[in-house]
Amino acid sequence: MKRRFFLPAMLALCLLTSCTVPSAKPEPEPVTAELFAMDTYMSLVAYGDEAQDALTEASQVINDLDRTLSRTREGSDVWNLNHAGSVVPSADTAVLLNAALRYTADTEGCFDITIAPLVEAWGITTDSPRVPSQEEIDALLKKVGPQHLLLTADMARLDKGCAVDLGAIAKGYAGDAVADVFSRYGVESGAVSLGGNVYVCGTRPDGNPWQVAIQDPQGEGYACTLLLSDAFAVTSGGYQRYFTGPDGTVYQHILDPATGRPAQSDLLSVTVVCPNGTRADAYSTALYVMGEQRAWQFWEARDGGDRAFDMVLVTADGRLVVTPGLADRFREEESAPYEVHFITR
Amino acid sequence: MKSTSSPADLRPTRYDALVAAAVLVLAIAVAVAVYAPARAGGEEPVVVVTAGGEEVYRLPLRQFPDAPVTFTHNGYTLTLRPDASGSDSGVYVAQSDCPGHDCVHMGVIRRTGQSIVCLPAQIVIRLEGGSGGPDLTVG
Repeated sequence: MKRRFFLPAMLALCLLTSCTVPSAKPEPEPVTAELFAMDTYMSLVAYGDEAQDALTEASQVINDLDRTLSRTREGSDVWNLNHAGSVVPSADTAVLLNAALRYTADTEGCFDITIAPLVEAWGITTDSPRVPSQEEIDALLKKVGPQHLLLTADMARLDKGCAVDLGAIAKGYAGDAVADVFSRYGVESGAVSLGGNVYVCGTRPDGNPWQVAIQDPQGEGYACTLLLSDAFAVTSGGYQRYFTGPDGTVYQHILDPATGRPAQSDLLSVTVVCPNGTRADAYSTALYVMGEQRAWQFWEARDGGDRAFDMVLVTADGRLVVTPGLADRFREEESAPYEVHFITR
Repeated sequence: MKSTSSPADLRPTRYDALVAAAVLVLAIAVAVAVYAPARAGGEEPVVVVTAGGEEVYRLPLRQFPDAPVTFTHNGYTLTLRPDASGSDSGVYVAQSDCPGHDCVHMGVIRRTGQSIVCLPAQIVIRLEGGSGGPDLTVG
């Protein structure tokens, strides 16, 4: 009889021992911070021994950048530049203005911080948005272009009547600054959401990549999810910030520097993933303005180089266009009504 | 190799079947007990509202009242309503006197991790808890 029970007993042992109980090691406690800055809502989470100090300094850095780079805050570098025509910029302002000019050249003007006079005229995110006349737009377009901004070693100057707006790049720069703070404090796991800008540091505490969902621009859920670690992801789209004109026309907030009007894009949103927050921010805006065809060409021309990036385009005709670098980090959303198209090299 | 059992002795009997069945039941029970709570998350999404960084409201999504709930901060008032049009319940900002109405444009949120932000009012409505949500949302 004992022999008869041997086989089942061994089977029992195998089955029971295969049910390993999850590690009893407690999950590390997250440290969190929230703030309203740079005209957006920001949330930060970090893990580790110095996470609290890191978040305190990161919040301070963000608020300092807000005070320096804001277009609407009196006394900021940008406010002084726009109102006085020149400023001795802080180190951050100088770095960012120089970067902005580089990205203007890089994107052939689809990203341009000198669009500010038109942003002001449209007032799309203000109390009193309006549709400027074509004459007004044409006049203001003459004030737009990198040739109106002169940067020297210690001075920034603008031509008369011109202005800059760093809103399409400042959050990306802030993301880079937070990444730098995390690095100095030895934070190996953290996630930061600065409005539409995300930075993920390392992996989640459980060792898995962070799950970053891209908002569905025409639905209530997510278009897809990306599994990311040590990366920036920035989305631009016109689906949240817009106003409806008296005739029912919807005017979204991203202006095309070439026309001075809201970009007529065949894209609903653009998400750029790369190791640099400033670049991701500038590129996402530019690609939205470019539209699908030019965005493909722009990506292709930089693939494999030092300005390489990945992207997810949500097109107006219902497709998700995904670059090959994201293929194994991409998770389709079952409920999302999109056909997924992976670009091949 | 020498065998002391006859072929008849090795043939399975109903006792063997009983032991095997008992082992299987026990293994399944242990597996369910160990893994099921972790997978299910053990909780449903909770509506959390903060105003100026302070939490002012917290209620499980399913218990969100049918009547509108209003929140006022920074001089602006938002009206939050439940939505049951989808397969999952949700909430949305039905009205706001803030400029831009970005919070109204954000539509319904139904899933853990989603949020509605009203910058002028500095009010954040988000869904916490539950299971299966992403860590972050971009867009």
